[in-house]
Amino acid sequence: MIARPTTEQVLLDCCRVLTDDVLPALGDPVAQVRVVMLEKVLRNAAVRAAGEIAWMREEIATIEDYARKVLDRTSGDPVRQALAVLTAGPRDSLLLDDVVESYCRAGDALSAALEAVLAAGCRDLQHDGEQLLEQRLHREDAVVGGWQSAGR
Amino acid sequence: MPDPAFTRDGFAALLAAREPARRPTVTAFAPISGGYSRLTAVAEVAWDDASPERFVLRGDPPPDEGVFVSDRDSEWELLQALSRSRPVPTAAPRWYDGTGEHLGTKCIVAEHFPGRSLQDALRDTDGQQHLSDLYLDVLAGVHRTPLDVLPASMERPPDWDAYVDGVLAGYAEVERELSDSNPVLRYVSARLRADRPPPVPFALVHGDCQPSNVLVTDTGEHVVIDWEFARVGDPREDLGYYTQIPMEPNLYHRDPHAFLAGYRARTGLSEEQVDPRTVEYFLVLGIARLHTQILRALEDVGRGRSRGVMATYLINAVTHLDGMFFRIARGLPSSALTPGVGPS
Repeated sequence: MIARPTTEQVLLDCCRVLTDDVLPALGDPVAQVRVVMLEKVLRNAAVRAAGEIAWMREEIATIEDYARKVLDRTSGDPVRQALAVLTAGPRDSLLLDDVVESYCRAGDALSAALEAVLAAGCRDLQHDGEQLLEQRLHREDAVVGGWQSAGR
Repeated sequence: MPDPAFTRDGFAALLAAREPARRPTVTAFAPISGGYSRLTAVAEVAWDDASPERFVLRGDPPPDEGVFVSDRDSEWELLQALSRSRPVPTAAPRWYDGTGEHLGTKCIVAEHFPGRSLQDALRDTDGQQHLSDLYLDVLAGVHRTPLDVLPASMERPPDWDAYVDGVLAGYAEVERELSDSNPVLRYVSARLRADRPPPVPFALVHGDCQPSNVLVTDTGEHVVIDWEFARVGDPREDLGYYTQIPMEPNLYHRDPHAFLAGYRARTGLSEEQVDPRTVEYFLVLGIARLHTQILRALEDVGRGRSRGVMATYLINAVTHLDGMFFRIARGLPSSALTPGVGPS
C-alpha cells in the first residue's frame, strides 16, 4: 500500500482544498456552512487517524487493570460480567474495527466499575476512576480541538 | 402543479390554497443558514388587496439529513396558544402545511419580525444593561406563563422527582442502546440521581432559550422564536441550557451571581432553588433531549446511515458536553456517595 502521504496528511490536504479553493467559490450561505463543518470533521478525522489505535489500546489496558482492582474490593457482578465480555473480545487484533470493539467493551467495564465504587463509597477507587475519565476526555478534547458552533 | 418542495413554488402553492381570493405572488424566497435543526427561509409576498408582507418558513429537513427531531404539529399548536394569550411575545403564526402537500415537508409560516437577534445586539453593545435585562425578562416571562394557557396536548409531568428520574433515565436508555460506550454519561447519571437540588414548580420551558432566539427592534419590541423544543418542565433547565451557549457575550458567565439574582427577583424563586450549583445541575438535564438526539444520530452514522454533515460535525459538541457534565458531576458534594447509587 502507499504509506506516504499518511491518512492524516491526505485528510489535511483535503481540508486545505476545501478552505482555500472550494469555500471562496461558494455563494450559497447554507453550502458555505456545510463546507466549514466538513472541514472541521475532516481535520478531526486526521488527528484520530494518526493515533487512535495506539490510544485505544493504551486505554483498554489501563481500564482493565482498574476494573480488576474494583472487582477485588466490591461485590460487583456487573463488573465481573463486563470484564468477561472484554476478555472474550478480539483483543489481539490491530484491525480498527476490532480495536474499537474492544474499546467499547472496556468502556462498559469502566462504567460498571465506576457505578460499583460509587455504590460502595470507595473514595480512593472513585478518584482513580475519575482520573481515567479525565484522561479520556482530555484526549477527546485534543482530537476535536474545542467546540465551535459553525454558522452561528 | 409542481411537486411539493421547500421552494418559492411550494410556498406559492400553499398560499394559493389558503388565500385564493387575495391573489398572492411570492416575490422572493431565500433559505437562511444558522439554524441547526429546521429548514428555514424568508419569503416576500405581494397581495392584491394589501401591502407586501414578509414571512419566515420553518420546515423539517429530509429524514436522512437532520439531527434534531421535534414535532411541528406540537409547535404549531403551542404557537397558536401563545399567540392567543400573549404571555410571551411571539412572531404571529399564519399558516401551517401540516401534511407537506405543498412544501414537501411539514412547515410553519409565521410573520417576519423586523428585528435582529438579541445575541447580535448584545455583542454590538457589549452587553448593554437594558438588553441584559430584556433577556432576563424573556426568561422570566416564559417561566411565568400560566400552564393553563398551553395546549391541553402538552404533556404535564406527574411530579418533580419522577420528572428528574425520567430525564436521567433517558441518558441511561440511550447509553444502553448505542453500540458505542459512554462511561462519562453513566458516571454523570449515577451522581446526579443521588444528589438533587430542591424542587420548584413546573413551568413552560422554551428548550433553546438563548438570546439568538429573541428578536429585538431598536425601540425594544421583541419576539421569542424557535419553540420546537418547548415543554412543561423545570424552569431551571432553560438557565442551565443557556450556560453552555458558546456565543459571546454570555450574560450568565459574565456575572453568574448578578444574573441569577436578576432571575430570582423576576420569578420569586429562592437562592436555595436557584444558585450556580443548581444551574449546573440543570445544564445536564436541560440539554438532555438534544444530547441524546445527537448520540442517536451518531449511532446511525456508525451503522452506515448518513444523517448529513451536521451529525458528524456534532461529535465536537458531544465531547464538549461530556467534559462539562463530568466537571459538574465531579463537583457534587459527598452526599452523592451513598449506598444505592448505581445502575437503576
